[in-house]
Amino acid sequence: MREFLKSTRFKVLLAFLAFLVGIMIYAVTKGGYSVSGASFVNTITKPFRSASNGISMKIEHWLDKVTNATEYYNENQRLKQQIGELNKELTEYEALKEEVEQLRKFVTIKEEHQDYVITQPCDVLGYVANDPFKSFTIDRGTDVGIEPYCPVVTAEGLVGITVEVSEHVSTVRTILSPDLSVAAICSESSSTDYGIIEGSVLCAQQGLTKLIHLDLENKLEAGDLMVTTGTSGYFPKGYSIGTVKSVGIDSSGLSACAEIEPCIDISRLSSVVVITDFSGKNTGEEETENED
Amino acid sequence: MRIKTPREKKILIVKTTVRWLLYYVLIFFAFVFMTSGTFMKPVVLIPLALCIAVNNDRVGSAVTGAICGFLIDMSCGKLFGYNAVILTFFCIVLSLLFELYLRHRFINILITVAVVSFLQGWLDYKFYYEIWKYEDVEVIFRTVTLPVWAYTVISTVFVYLVIKLINHFLMPKEHLTLEEAIKTE
Repeated sequence: MREFLKSTRFKVLLAFLAFLVGIMIYAVTKGGYSVSGASFVNTITKPFRSASNGISMKIEHWLDKVTNATEYYNENQRLKQQIGELNKELTEYEALKEEVEQLRKFVTIKEEHQDYVITQPCDVLGYVANDPFKSFTIDRGTDVGIEPYCPVVTAEGLVGITVEVSEHVSTVRTILSPDLSVAAICSESSSTDYGIIEGSVLCAQQGLTKLIHLDLENKLEAGDLMVTTGTSGYFPKGYSIGTVKSVGIDSSGLSACAEIEPCIDISRLSSVVVITDFSGKNTGEEETENED
Repeated sequence: MRIKTPREKKILIVKTTVRWLLYYVLIFFAFVFMTSGTFMKPVVLIPLALCIAVNNDRVGSAVTGAICGFLIDMSCGKLFGYNAVILTFFCIVLSLLFELYLRHRFINILITVAVVSFLQGWLDYKFYYEIWKYEDVEVIFRTVTLPVWAYTVISTVFVYLVIKLINHFLMPKEHLTLEEAIKTE
């Protein structure tokens, strides 16, 4: 031992230790920065360390997969189920959103016309096969108070009138049909032109309807909005029907007529509402009185 | 006709029941087809009722004609019973015609369906459009009645094939074939 303590090797080791302590003290004085040697080593070894780290991580992952496969499988199944549920919720949400949008539109009808008694939105069951005037059936009938000759509308405008009503299904005749006549007046303040909206064979093919019995000296222009007059008692007053597309002279030459573009595409309806009551409705009592 | 054993009778009853069930399943699907979509479509219930009528007895034909007619009335928005009357009449006539005078050939069935569906379309046009003297009413005949008639005649090919397939497996044979006659002896 004494020999080792007196030996040169011991002194060299001691000196090396002192050198390391010196470096340590020096590193402390650098205030967080690496000493130049360490920095150099770091720079040189960086790509190797990076590659090595990558390999080791991959191996670790592989080992992790092998050892925890069952756990991951279960987690995967759970997540799949969760995604399925979320997708289902998303679909329901989309359907609800669409329904809310539709309801919001229909609520505006009630807000704008306090006197209306309207049904809940009715789904269009289907269009009457091969009907050139686009009659259709809806999924509500007398069970919600619908009667024959109730106006059928959307928030955008008038669609038609119920003609055949059973307990749960009603048939609607549209404003494209020549069998339905609606008294209409121009809503523009500058014009008080009025006439009868009545479908025609040629107009119905283009999804249009016709305004007939117009004064020859009318002031109607393309884009003018026609609304119901409410004089017959079958339709509420002031409800939008459609806009004027073009104005011309009737085939008889005695009056003018106009092509009317309905406010809504009647051949692509998905839901409508039926107005079962409104102020000024023709209840049939007056007719009975007159007959008497 | 050969005298049937009880087992053969039972098979006959089962086959007849299944056959009629299949007929009505077809009628149901034809009705669903006719009530869906906004496109112009063949009145597929006409060839269906007639194809059933030419292969069956008069009572069955009449009932099928009436049911198909009612379904046409519902899907086409016509007066309930209007097409039922027309189709029942033609089903009985065709059942008789094919029993007494005509052979069960495709061309015969195609011609009779073409005639009946044209008459049905023409009557429909007369009573629902022309009689009311709408302006340009002939446009409806040209753009609706005739195309629908053409589609109906074309659809007969498919309807005939399906009915023939059902009959091939489920229709009882009324007469013995030569081989059967030899075997019976």
